Amino acid sequence: MNDFCVKLADILDVAEVKESDLLTGFSTWDSLSVLSIIAMLDSKYGLNVTAADLRNVGTVGDLWNLIQRKQRA
Amino acid sequence: MNFKFHHKRITGMLAVLPAREASFIDEMRNFNFPVSRSLKLKEVMGYDKHRLVEPGVCVSDLAVHGLQRLFDAGLLQPSEIDALLLVTQCPDYFMPPTSNIIQGRLNLKQDMLCLDINQGCAGFVIGLLQAFLLLEQECIRKVVLVNADVMSRKTSTKDRNSYPLIGDAASITIVERDAEDSLIHANLRMDGTRNEALMIPAGGFRLPSSAETAVLEDVGDNNFRGKDHLRMDGSAVFNFVQVEVPPMVEDLLALAGKRHEDVDYYAFHQPNKFMLQKLADKMKIPYAKMPMNVVERFGNSSGVTIPLAIVSNLAGQVTKERLFMCLAGFGVGLTWSSMLMPLGQLNFCEIVDYT
Repeated sequence: MNDFCVKLADILDVAEVKESDLLTGFSTWDSLSVLSIIAMLDSKYGLNVTAADLRNVGTVGDLWNLIQRKQRA
Repeated sequence: MNFKFHHKRITGMLAVLPAREASFIDEMRNFNFPVSRSLKLKEVMGYDKHRLVEPGVCVSDLAVHGLQRLFDAGLLQPSEIDALLLVTQCPDYFMPPTSNIIQGRLNLKQDMLCLDINQGCAGFVIGLLQAFLLLEQECIRKVVLVNADVMSRKTSTKDRNSYPLIGDAASITIVERDAEDSLIHANLRMDGTRNEALMIPAGGFRLPSSAETAVLEDVGDNNFRGKDHLRMDGSAVFNFVQVEVPPMVEDLLALAGKRHEDVDYYAFHQPNKFMLQKLADKMKIPYAKMPMNVVERFGNSSGVTIPLAIVSNLAGQVTKERLFMCLAGFGVGLTWSSMLMPLGQLNFCEIVDYT
């Protein structure tokens, strides 16, 4: 998860992200970040996640759980 | 579905670009976003310059300008044109077909076929497929394929999802029979259930344009557009491209018995630099083999981007040697299509400005 957090922080242009952080709480949470996350999940985890999937995600931890769920599916 | 063609080739390509060049930096203030985020978007997507028509300029204006230029230079004789295919989403009128308008403005012969095809980002490959099919007929010896769009006229200047990347352009591609076999493989898929990912909701018969459809609406994420405007679900299109395009191209290579090493260049539709980089990464294609600079130099002109990528990056090579090309178009419909073909020894391969 550490690697994932580093990548997410990079996309969101912040020093670090914590599991409890709300995604919509970042000032850089916009369509560009959403697209960058979709691309990152595709290239690093081989997952096809949609913007609609991400709309239902609350926190950084929730996003990590979504990845785990999708990888098991 | 899979297609196979023999004895067909492209003999010339001309791109027509409006002379007016706009820059993302100048347009950033139209968007309701922090400058730092817009600059990040510019860097990631490769937005910079794009070419836009002046108000009132139509597809037939760009096409007539380019064809007249070819006639004047002696690169094409009007009497040789047996078929004029126009691929556009921006017709001058609902009726008559814009290809007939072009025919009339240039006084072309009556013994010919004019055909409009409503296609977008896959429109160059679709147009070539149609051209090849027509060339099976003895009476058709030379097909002029025109791809043209002036989509900036239907794009909200306050929609950062679309406006920075849109470009207007036309291309003219001459397609003929080839004495050599020149085996060409192509494949094509469509999915109309996802037709709403890229659309202009108003202006047709289903929802005619009105004062109401012109009103700019807050569509979320600080973007504003009317129903008269182009609507692009960017992330859905991204998902579509990443899921559908790589297997399509791999299927085609397998069908043709070719490997990636056999392909000299991948001339793909140019939605933006980001999407092309991700496609190249996924397919393990070196960036040097895939031009990605059309959006930053000229904007995304839907069906024109493949010819524009070739003309602006490979003109020196395709006028001399024969290259083995992989083309791929993907977009509105949804439609996705790819083609493996030799391309080279063109009689002309250049760009002209429209003023």
